[in-house]
Amino acid sequence: MLKGIWGSDWFGLFVVALVAGTGLALFQPAFLSPFNLYVLLISFSLWALVAMAQMVIIAIGQMNLSVGAIGGLVAISFAGSMEVWGLPVPAAILLGLAIAALCGLLNGVMTHVTGISAFVITLATLSIFKGLNIGITEAQPFYGVPDVVKAFGNARFEGLPHMLIVPVVAIILIWLLFNRMVLGRQMLALGANRHAAELSGIRVGRVVVIAHVISAVLAAMAGMLAVARLQLGQPTIGDDWLILSFAAPVIGGAVLAGGHISVIGTCLGVVIVTLINNALVLLGIDPFFVQLFLGGLILIAVGLNRWRERRLAPA
Amino acid sequence: MATATTGRGGRGALGLLASNEVGLALLIAVLVAIFATVNPGFTSPFNLFALSRVMGIDMVIGLSMMVVLVTGGLNLAVGSIGVASVMLGGWAMQVAGVPVLPSMTLAVAFGAFLGWINGQLTVRMGVHSFIVTLATMSLFFGAMIVATRAEAFNALPRSFVDLGKLRYGGFVSGMLPLALIVGLGLWLFFNRTSLGREILAAGANPQAAELSGVRVNRTIVVAHALSGALGALAGLMLAARNGAALPSMAGHIGMGWLLPAFLAPVLGGTLLTGGVVSVAGTVLGAAMVTIITNGLLQLQIGEFWVQMCLGLILLAAVLLDRARSVIAERRRSVA
Amino acid sequence: MRVARMLPLAVLAAGIAGPAMASDTKVALVPGGPHPYFAAWENAAAAAAADFGIEAEYRVPAAWELSKQNEMIESLVAQGFNAFLVFPGDANGTNATLEELAAFDIPSAALAGCTVDPTAASFCLGTDVARSAYLGTKELIEAMGGSGRIAHFTGFLVDPNTQLRIEAVEQAVAEAGGGVEIIQVIADIDAPEPADEKINAFLAARGSEVDGIVTTAWVPSVVAATSLRNLGDKRIRMVGIDHDEVVLSAIEDGFVDGTMLQNPYGQGYIGSYAMDLIRQGCTMKEDAPWQQTAQTAHFIDSGTAFVDADQVKDYQAAMVAVTDEIMATFKDDFLVCN
Repeated sequence: MLKGIWGSDWFGLFVVALVAGTGLALFQPAFLSPFNLYVLLISFSLWALVAMAQMVIIAIGQMNLSVGAIGGLVAISFAGSMEVWGLPVPAAILLGLAIAALCGLLNGVMTHVTGISAFVITLATLSIFKGLNIGITEAQPFYGVPDVVKAFGNARFEGLPHMLIVPVVAIILIWLLFNRMVLGRQMLALGANRHAAELSGIRVGRVVVIAHVISAVLAAMAGMLAVARLQLGQPTIGDDWLILSFAAPVIGGAVLAGGHISVIGTCLGVVIVTLINNALVLLGIDPFFVQLFLGGLILIAVGLNRWRERRLAPA
Repeated sequence: MATATTGRGGRGALGLLASNEVGLALLIAVLVAIFATVNPGFTSPFNLFALSRVMGIDMVIGLSMMVVLVTGGLNLAVGSIGVASVMLGGWAMQVAGVPVLPSMTLAVAFGAFLGWINGQLTVRMGVHSFIVTLATMSLFFGAMIVATRAEAFNALPRSFVDLGKLRYGGFVSGMLPLALIVGLGLWLFFNRTSLGREILAAGANPQAAELSGVRVNRTIVVAHALSGALGALAGLMLAARNGAALPSMAGHIGMGWLLPAFLAPVLGGTLLTGGVVSVAGTVLGAAMVTIITNGLLQLQIGEFWVQMCLGLILLAAVLLDRARSVIAERRRSVA
Repeated sequence: MRVARMLPLAVLAAGIAGPAMASDTKVALVPGGPHPYFAAWENAAAAAAADFGIEAEYRVPAAWELSKQNEMIESLVAQGFNAFLVFPGDANGTNATLEELAAFDIPSAALAGCTVDPTAASFCLGTDVARSAYLGTKELIEAMGGSGRIAHFTGFLVDPNTQLRIEAVEQAVAEAGGGVEIIQVIADIDAPEPADEKINAFLAARGSEVDGIVTTAWVPSVVAATSLRNLGDKRIRMVGIDHDEVVLSAIEDGFVDGTMLQNPYGQGYIGSYAMDLIRQGCTMKEDAPWQQTAQTAHFIDSGTAFVDADQVKDYQAAMVAVTDEIMATFKDDFLVCN
């Protein structure tokens, strides 16, 4: 049992996160203050959804470059529909999810029907979704976000933001999908070996399309949380998601070629990246050195985890 | 090679039509014809010069990514390496007073060195190059920011800046022939040298290559070093075009290059899984994207809708190309 | 909706205009990328076109990147635009493009921000970014009662203007004597999510130590204003930049002390007017009342003002007044026409 945990994908990351957290707490007592924990968990909420959105597609052996563009388009549609059309909040949320589902459907169907790699398709749809965003907003934010939404973005119980509930539910569902459901196993089988998956009777098209829809819906949730958090519908929401969306799953042990992902590992990947970003601020690093430290810390985190895996390999 | 199948049989015409490169060339011809008809300005010498200049730079950026894609890896740090190398080259030219050519050589060598670091880290740590270059993207860029305090070198020697204004036949920028020469060199490298073939073999199937005596790790390091050198070259071309060595020229931590870097080789038929390369495809892919961008900017589209149209045209182009290859394949198998 | 917002301003400004006469000037107003700051340029271009009988269009590069902007400008030349007002995508890098325009006898000027000398830009009409950051910090120090600890939030380090802003804030702090100290500078937060993450992390760690915040970029201003409002914190003083609604309403409600405003409408309107005159053969006067900045010797201030709670309601009228004032003497002051 113990050996099972030590040998699991994510144990090394867990230790890295723990050591980083302890170190930070020692250097900067404010790290453990409720407000800082709240700030950390807010970041975690957003990035966990973004990372999951990409992880689902990595699982089937593809890439979704349009994650941020979908998040951004949903964010401005969500905020815009409430400001301009006066839609009630639940309706606006449904509209956002519906738009995301459409985007995901487009990505999935195009990829499957044409047989062109998802990388190329989502590169093109990235431009289309972002283009729609810019075309609709003319780069101007939507300010008319209802107070309920704003309040949700700020509400907290001590160190726990209310919005944490969204990623927690999503993470549990995604974990169940990959560990307890046939569909999840089919996704992984498809990612591991498309040919074998086809031979074993998996309806590849269906699985690909569903994966893309799930990915888009997760991105949509992240987009709407970002609106609640920022209290306005910024057209630039999502512009910065791409790198992190890949980094967290890959740090968490996902194989980019597909077939292998770890939900817990991905979450820990998000935790590590969030901790690093937090540390750079808490320790008051000179802005000119921030990128240098960021790169170095990612290398160290990955290196440590890799070193543990190697130690483990001969045993 | 994507074109390898075409040479084998005697079904010349159809086989040729089925190749990715010919498909892209046809698309380019159609696009040029449309844009030239719709916008009289498209074929003006000024526009052709500007277009060929951007095209040349994007081609080299694409080739720089291509050589790593061949190994089944990727290099997110192309932009970072490009900027870091150019800043060193700019410093050598402007501050240290090193002549232009040695400075440029220094920049390219430094790019190769940074790429070599990527390769070594990938091989030694045994992790995917994605995660290594993700880290070094920040690392190299951060080091450059610390070293330069983010200040540009804007008094570069005239002879260097003039390279950006080089013009052949009144309308072709010197950047384009340079990119084509680099492409030719890479084509020779992958088709005519044993090292190039080894890189391809290692990318296609590392285990099998290792068994047949290829030192797979060495091929990965070489590919990354080559990618770094090409990134530095693209950086120098961009610096000549901008007339200055700018920390901002590839965007925040060099991410501005990622799109052209991936677009050109992937459109051109280079597989992300490695082992398949198409130099001509990458060159044509870059050409197509720059032509679409340029042509689109000249149409009278509402200023905020250009990006969406770019996406739509890109999608249409990719679909058309796909339809062409499917139809050609089908005809060929019937014949 | 977007246009409606600026309409009153356009109507006010239209009153300034002289008689319209036909001209072959076709001026393009090119921002650095899609950004809310430049929205007023569109109305300015439309008003200038109507008032001066020229063609003037607002054309936005698809993304905030120097190379995208360069491609945009090149394609506009191919479309027959013959005068350019450009927000420099890079203070050094944009010079190469402006030089090429000059080689084709196409005049250009830097708008909102400046290119670094030597430059082919006829003039720079905009805000002296260093001076704006300096004045903003001065206002902040005054609001803090002359002493305390401040934090500075700013944009991309690779933007040459960021370096100038950091230095300007340092200078203002140094001049305040020993009582004021910069405890942290956070840069590279031009995207909203990282800005939210980092600014709140800062407030969590050092919110009780810091007495004032100065922001010198759009997104950090918006995010910091939102954060202070969420915290309900009026102890921490803040001076922002630009005219985002979030910042303006935070000023009205007392969470932010004020903001350093610029005059984008005036930039677009006066800039178009000047370009038309230059196209008709006027040249820039060497002994004009130029201002000297860290970047250029040919700077014209388009109106930089600190706006606090008292003025926030009618700052637009104030900017129209500034625009009026510059327009009234612009031709005589800065141009030699035959």
